[in-house]
Amino acid sequence: MAPGTMTTSRALQLATVLAGLALWELAARSAWVDPLFVPAPSAVARALAGNTGPVLAGLGDTLAKTAAAYVLSVVLGVSAGIAVGSLRLLRDVLSPYVIALYGMPKILVLPWIVLLLGYGTAPAVFYGALHGLFPILVLVMGAVRDVDRNLVTVARSLGATPWQLYWKVLLPAIVPSVLAGMRLGIVFCLLGVLVVEMFAGVRGMGYVMGSLANGFQAPELFAATALVSATSIAIVLGLDHVNDRLSRWRG
Amino acid sequence: MKVALLRLGLLAALLAVWELAGRAANPLLAVPPSAVVPALRDLLLLRSYPRLPASLWLTVREIGVAYALAVAAGLGCGFALGMNRLLGRAWGPMIAALYAVPAVVWYPSLMLFFGLDAASKIAFGFLLGFFPITLAVLAGVRQVNPHLVLVARAYGAGVVVVFFRVMLPSMLFTLVGGLRTGLALSVIGVVVGEILGSKDGMGALINHAYGLLRTGDYVALVLVTLLLVVGSDVLASGLERRARRWSE
Repeated sequence: MAPGTMTTSRALQLATVLAGLALWELAARSAWVDPLFVPAPSAVARALAGNTGPVLAGLGDTLAKTAAAYVLSVVLGVSAGIAVGSLRLLRDVLSPYVIALYGMPKILVLPWIVLLLGYGTAPAVFYGALHGLFPILVLVMGAVRDVDRNLVTVARSLGATPWQLYWKVLLPAIVPSVLAGMRLGIVFCLLGVLVVEMFAGVRGMGYVMGSLANGFQAPELFAATALVSATSIAIVLGLDHVNDRLSRWRG
Repeated sequence: MKVALLRLGLLAALLAVWELAGRAANPLLAVPPSAVVPALRDLLLLRSYPRLPASLWLTVREIGVAYALAVAAGLGCGFALGMNRLLGRAWGPMIAALYAVPAVVWYPSLMLFFGLDAASKIAFGFLLGFFPITLAVLAGVRQVNPHLVLVARAYGAGVVVVFFRVMLPSMLFTLVGGLRTGLALSVIGVVVGEILGSKDGMGALINHAYGLLRTGDYVALVLVTLLLVVGSDVLASGLERRARRWSE
């Protein structure tokens, strides 16, 4: 893409956001929309500035649970993906179940999880990990299955041990899929944690947002929504950046 | 054959372990399969929840409206952004960035706007279905070879003919995939919305059973809802196959 078009689209993006905010502010100030439901951006900004303590505490709590869920889903997803992907029989038997579980709306088992694990941190981490696990597992399974057979054959005939086969051939080949899975997985983990906090939370952003909605505190709710969205976009862009650097390093 | 037997065997073994462990532990919490069968029978005979058909029908209607809106808006937005290069370049990445936000963050605001009734579920199902459809149309329009369009126009084909004969066949693969993902997400959106807070629909029944610790009824209701989810996906994949055959 030429640098000229790049700046034009950046300018257009900025103009869109500014125009949208201005129109929204105007609509709220001239009472075209009910400020009880749609507060002006300036009111949202004030709410964000005046309410930083509890909101940041909630965000920190949510991010800590998300991190725990993410570590669990990456470790389990990658190791199970390698195991199931490289053993033919296991893969043939399990893959329809894995695909079915991936597509199933996990919210249906959430009440059961809450019954078994109670309110609070444990169900959030478990459910978040459950959400993040499947995209990673499916991607890694597919990548291991699609590793170039010739590479494996050549390595074997040159006398590679199974350990060397995994470490030197398989792992480098699946790195891009693992990274793609990790990028998908983080959003899924955050989603899962927020859902549990909304359904059965006692802390965290999901709980905060749920109670703000029930209390009709629209400015504070919008501020919290914007904060969580911005955090999530920042995390994904950060992972994309790391991905770019890694792929350039891989060549 | 051997693989199919192993699959069935695994399922049977899991159910057996669940049954034994569930009985040994707390049958009320673990809900062994033997407790689900009578609950499912009572549910289907409308003994435990006489409202089942009405609630199921409400959920189906919510999904239908949400998906119809998502398809209309997604096709409109996708084509508008796809046909206009500048807008597509500027707004495409913004839509993709919003797609990276866990969608459930919008749900409390939707509940505030639209209340606890069907409207907030429809809005959430719409929102979830809208993004994949828009992004698929956008990607599909970019797959169309501009030379083909140019040649067709040069031979005197009108805009409508170019659209149906040149553009649609070459983007159909991506488009239909996006429409199918959109349906799956609209279904999930409506179900998530209902479980996070509703007065009627399958989610309300599930929450009712869960709240009263009627765990057998809860699992039976989940199975019925799953049937709805799987049914919609089977329908969509059938239509997807037909569309792909048509394009070849």
